[in-house]
Amino acid sequence: MTPTISCDDLAVTLPGASGPVHILRGVTLAVEKAEFVSVLGTSGSGKTTLLRVLGGLLPASGGTVRCDDTAVSGPPEGVVTVFQDYAHSLLPWRTVRRNVALGIEAKMSKSERDDRVDEALTMVGLLDRAAEYPWRLSGGMQQRVQIARALATRPRVLLMDEPFGALDAMTKASLQDQLQQVQELTGTTVVFVTHDVEEAVYLSDRLVVLRGSPADIGLSLEIPLPRPRHQITTKERPDYLELRHRVYEALGHTVGEPARG
Amino acid sequence: MVSLTKRVNLLGGAVFVLAIGLWELLVRTSVLDFTYLPAPTAVAEGLGELFANGELLGALGHTLFAALSGWALAGLAGVAAGSVLGLVRPVWMYSMASLEALRALPIVAFVPVAVLLFGFSVQTEIMVAFYAALWPILLNTINGMRTEPRMLESGAVLRLSKAAVLWKIRLPGATAMIVVGLRLGLSVSLVLTLVAEMVGNPAGLGFLLVEKGQALQPGQMFAAVFVIGVTGIVLNGLVMGAARLAFRGQMASSGEAA
Repeated sequence: MTPTISCDDLAVTLPGASGPVHILRGVTLAVEKAEFVSVLGTSGSGKTTLLRVLGGLLPASGGTVRCDDTAVSGPPEGVVTVFQDYAHSLLPWRTVRRNVALGIEAKMSKSERDDRVDEALTMVGLLDRAAEYPWRLSGGMQQRVQIARALATRPRVLLMDEPFGALDAMTKASLQDQLQQVQELTGTTVVFVTHDVEEAVYLSDRLVVLRGSPADIGLSLEIPLPRPRHQITTKERPDYLELRHRVYEALGHTVGEPARG
Repeated sequence: MVSLTKRVNLLGGAVFVLAIGLWELLVRTSVLDFTYLPAPTAVAEGLGELFANGELLGALGHTLFAALSGWALAGLAGVAAGSVLGLVRPVWMYSMASLEALRALPIVAFVPVAVLLFGFSVQTEIMVAFYAALWPILLNTINGMRTEPRMLESGAVLRLSKAAVLWKIRLPGATAMIVVGLRLGLSVSLVLTLVAEMVGNPAGLGFLLVEKGQALQPGQMFAAVFVIGVTGIVLNGLVMGAARLAFRGQMASSGEAA
């Protein structure tokens, strides 16, 4: 089976203040259809860079990036990136409804567009705020608007760059569960970048840890926890705790010592 | 204009009325003793005379026509040129030095030049108003075109066409800045039209002011000053009102809510 989105022997080198900086080297990752894969790594490890390359926002310096069978050059059809900074990603002069319509309004009739927008807003539970401007909403709601904007295009792949990184713990947990439900409902493939170990283990089918500089994949771990997952019961399971333990170790934490980095 | 009535500041208004009353008092009691300083009542009388003999409306119409024509042309040219300068890097590189030099030239210095080029005509006034308004509109449009990079990436991942990115992201993102440029441009084009009327084309409110001064009619002269002031305030209000109507979302999101 062809993976939905993949990279092979990927290298990324970016210009820095003192010569080129090697960010990624030899990264090979294949994400299957409807799979939820998290990319973990410490701050500055190149997680976001990897996602930007997969999303066609940054060209690879070496190796190949493919979406289905096509080499990626620019954002591929059906692949939408959701950014962490929702405030700068939404258009403040458009209402929630018109923000969600942004990606589809040129491609379909008005009634079809309205149906799609309603559908996407219902999935994130914001249908009753459709006429609001996004900056009148809370951070969590704004991020849901951005997710709805991506969902309205009915993407095959969602690339999410620390989407809940700027939100408080309670909002984060509720959005994680909402994302879980949406993914189950739509069968969307998700690549999810985060620095939150619990979040990655809780949400993923598989997670990879970026390690080193330039970074490659240091650990690739299947997460066979049963679905649907639950914030309390799943996180109390011994296998959840065991997986969490292994990920922390892969990130360089050692039991009995204060965290480094 | 609901916002205007809400924003009327009672205390501020009282101070204004008091100041006018004080002025009247000081002139009448000759505490302020200038030969040609009229009391507010004399100014009101002058205003009535100018209105009755038709001089005022004629002059006002002339000045408004010149200032607004120049301003509107500057709006079109400034937004178009500003978009190109803001979006096309090489154009910006090549023209920046010339723009900086021209911008630094005080606009008033351009008035005698325009008189020489276009004669004592309304064209002179329009050219001066155009030139004056062009700079704030142009520079604000260029700045406004520096769109938040993340918004452009959002357009890219949603696979918007280049035209759609310009029309749906860049221009709306620049609207609030462009409106600021238009407001600044309108006030300077009015000022420079008046200057052109004083030293160039003998018509309009600027000339009326000079003429009444030279005819030793301080009441009418102050009335002309008063009309000029009110015109500036009304024009600015009209531009803001129109912008809020036409670009509701943009103005609201930049904190200029109605």
